[in-house]
Amino acid sequence: MKSQSRKFLRPVMRESLISWCLFPGTIILLLFTLLPFAWMLCISFFTRPDFFNGADSHFTFSNYWDVLSSDSLHFLDFVKNSLIISGLSALLSSLIAALAAYAVSRLHFRGRIVIPLAILAMSMFPQISIVGYLYQSFSSLGWINTYAALVLPYIALTVPLALWITLSYFMQIPLDLDKAALVDGAGRLKTLFKIILPIAAPGIFSGFLLVFIQCFNEFLFAILLTIDYHAQTLPVGIALFEGTHGEIPWGNLMAASTMASIPLILLALLFQRFIVSGLAGGAVKG
Amino acid sequence: MNDAYSIELQGISKSYTRSGTTVEVLKKIDLTVMAGEFFVLLGPSGCGKSTLLNLCAGLDVPSEGKILLGEKRIVDIEAGICLQPYERDAAMVFQSYALYPHMTVAENLAFPLRNRKPKLTKHEIETAVKQTAEMLQIHTLLDRKPAELSGGQRQRVAIGRALVRKPKIFLLDEPLSNLDAQLRHEMRAQLKTLQEKLGITTIYVTHDQTEAMTLANRLAVLNQGQVQQLGTPSEVYKNPVNPFVAQFIGSPPMNLLKCNYSDSKKSLLLPDANQEIILQDTDLDQISKLLIPEADSFLLGVRPEDLIIVDASNARLKVELSVIENLGSEWLGYTYIGSKTLIVRSSRELKKGNICLSFASENMHLFPSIT
Amino acid sequence: MLDSHQSQLSENKIRSIKRYNSNDLVTAILFLSPVILFVSILIVFPVIGTGITSLYRDVSYLPKSFLGLDNYKALIFSPDFRASLVFTLIFTLFAVACETVLGLLFALLLNEEFRGRNVLRVVILIPWAIPTIVSAKVWKLIFEYSYGILNVIICGLGLSDEKINWLGTGVTSFWALLLAEVWKTTPFMILILLAGLQAIPRDLTMQARMDGAKPIRRLFTITLPLLRPVLLIALIFRTVDTLRIFDLVFVLTGGGPGGSTKTLSLLGYEFFGNDRFGMGSAISMITFLIALAITLLYLKVGGFAKQLGVKQ
Repeated sequence: MKSQSRKFLRPVMRESLISWCLFPGTIILLLFTLLPFAWMLCISFFTRPDFFNGADSHFTFSNYWDVLSSDSLHFLDFVKNSLIISGLSALLSSLIAALAAYAVSRLHFRGRIVIPLAILAMSMFPQISIVGYLYQSFSSLGWINTYAALVLPYIALTVPLALWITLSYFMQIPLDLDKAALVDGAGRLKTLFKIILPIAAPGIFSGFLLVFIQCFNEFLFAILLTIDYHAQTLPVGIALFEGTHGEIPWGNLMAASTMASIPLILLALLFQRFIVSGLAGGAVKG
Repeated sequence: MNDAYSIELQGISKSYTRSGTTVEVLKKIDLTVMAGEFFVLLGPSGCGKSTLLNLCAGLDVPSEGKILLGEKRIVDIEAGICLQPYERDAAMVFQSYALYPHMTVAENLAFPLRNRKPKLTKHEIETAVKQTAEMLQIHTLLDRKPAELSGGQRQRVAIGRALVRKPKIFLLDEPLSNLDAQLRHEMRAQLKTLQEKLGITTIYVTHDQTEAMTLANRLAVLNQGQVQQLGTPSEVYKNPVNPFVAQFIGSPPMNLLKCNYSDSKKSLLLPDANQEIILQDTDLDQISKLLIPEADSFLLGVRPEDLIIVDASNARLKVELSVIENLGSEWLGYTYIGSKTLIVRSSRELKKGNICLSFASENMHLFPSIT
Repeated sequence: MLDSHQSQLSENKIRSIKRYNSNDLVTAILFLSPVILFVSILIVFPVIGTGITSLYRDVSYLPKSFLGLDNYKALIFSPDFRASLVFTLIFTLFAVACETVLGLLFALLLNEEFRGRNVLRVVILIPWAIPTIVSAKVWKLIFEYSYGILNVIICGLGLSDEKINWLGTGVTSFWALLLAEVWKTTPFMILILLAGLQAIPRDLTMQARMDGAKPIRRLFTITLPLLRPVLLIALIFRTVDTLRIFDLVFVLTGGGPGGSTKTLSLLGYEFFGNDRFGMGSAISMITFLIALAITLLYLKVGGFAKQLGVKQ
């Protein structure tokens, strides 16, 4: 139906104003988004960042090799910490969001409208108003510089987003399916795991991706609640990246930045559909 | 095979409270569905028929009343009994079919069996699935997903998923309304045959009077949460107890005209048409049979097919047809009397213009006028 | 055969209605408790805790003592805090305004059908996906005084005789931060507004075109009014998010030069870092209250609360 109507509309002539704007607009958007990224890539392959001043700078892969091989930089430790912390947070966040979304979309109880709104409102709190208290509590618990110190707050920070995305998917699944499963003798938990979750898998996945990326990029909690490479994440590692000679080693830094960004960019490009539907679903339907 | 079970609803009421206001969906329903019967609940949307079906299935709890399945109480509000859906051995087919989209046909059919306790063996499940699939001629589709099936095939799978567990009651909620007209005819006949063959007590909900007439052993017409009339299709068609049933059953609906009874002249006055119908003795018999109360204002009901075209000397009613519809096998003529439409149905060609009509006494219905 | 198992099982089993009715409630409580636990222990309690701490003198080297609102009073009279507050508000205003205008323009562009549109839709995800810290470092390199590409381009094109010390003065730092922030967050705005645009039935704009409305007129009379709910949500998200901006500033300017770009979050972080939890908490609470006030303001202006009510 949709493609048919599109085909039908295509022969309609575009108005001149719109067609005049199309080309320059596209170019501006493309330059605007890509230039800084391209610059990062470019510098990461040069020995010095000032090669256009006539300085002795040439193409090299050594920046990457330096970052990966240096023991004092702990780049691979940061990668490992980031992957474990973000993966674990995203997994748990998606799971508990799915449980809650099932309750809100399927069960009848008082407050089923208020609860998701209240939880969404939690994501409005500035992190700074949470992190100081958590720092004090985690200090007294001896949790500073552990994975738990980041995973637990990350779950709480991201669960509103995950809930909202999951919910917008669950709402689209007809209630008849639940009724059918109940008549067919399945309990609530079985209905959730055997019927609803498999059907809503794309939604859960897009929630998982967004949460993963959010955790991977988080900085304020990461810098306050960790001390060294045992728990520090990639953003902290890159933010605190210092050269040994006083001057910033831009080549190394850009190589590290590129390596930190590429996985996320690949995720975003590969699963573009899920990410866009996740981001948009929450806003447009919510 | 199991014997058929009867279902008895006693004083079933259901009300919801939404933001302070209480809505009564069902009011003291008493019904008995006999063992092995094909029973149809017929009514307009919002009459409570689907709620009633959900109450039988165990998807909802009545506010009061009892439901007996055979000898067993499955719902007794006063005694605090309300069995879960899976404890009732009820199966249900939904309007949307509610097939699990991520499972194949075979997995859909097996799902209710997998939830059984004690567990059935793989072999038992496979045999049951195969049998059911063959019975419904979907055995070639077992590996497909619901999205790969046509509407009619989905319908069959939904019925199969319901029947595979050999339920005591078979509940259907407007199962044919998502099919196109031709398939609907076909499935209707097949459903009827299947039910007769299996002999499962069946409750079928629909708003379509044709489905109700063709499928039901008995039917109940529901409106505003109350049973308006209960009986076999022909009983309900021939002797509707009130204007609602009269108009709901039959297509096109029964003509209803306002009229006043004059005892002195032994006649019915039609104020809108400014005509008078002189009553014959057979009419008066009919009127006395209908036990008309004191009031003298009534609704006169005659079905379109019961209006006969006569010559002027025998006319009881003279009207002017203003719209004619040719349906191929028959003709419909429309005339407007006051705000009411009067429809004449004839197997012979009708023409616009004045026409004289008559009707037999036994085809005359009188209802107390609603004020 | 199947039947006999089942009926034997349930024959004597009587379930109370209370249990049947409360089944949903019990399940709901079970299913919701993890979310509620996480959110209350790690968000609600800490916010309350921060509120309480903000009423105390809580520094590591002195005993804790109750001060009432003294921390807040001290903040109001502190020029650092006032500068930070003004900077944060003005920066948020500029950033959100730029993002919204750019986001809307680009969303309108991507809503048209042309070759390469799908590629462009994917490409705009790149700034969104790059970690903020990384983008901050890249922009820092771009704004570098002696060999930053921006100065090279400006001097090369002859737009300026001298190199500009972008991160060296308060005013230029502001624009530098703004550019970096807008680059990073406009894609989010584009995506959300684009989704909103696509939810507007095409028939409507076509009809308006048949009725003789020109593109600009259609934008203001059809598209924007219908886009309002989505625009409002995007605005709330972006405003609240920009108010608490931390990581970009931390890396790009570190709050400098001379504290001229110190956001509220950065100021609070510094107090926490110096173990001055009472003052840090007071700043955090003020940030929280401002975010809350702005959200409520949006909701009131946008009539959004009403809309939500109707929807539910």
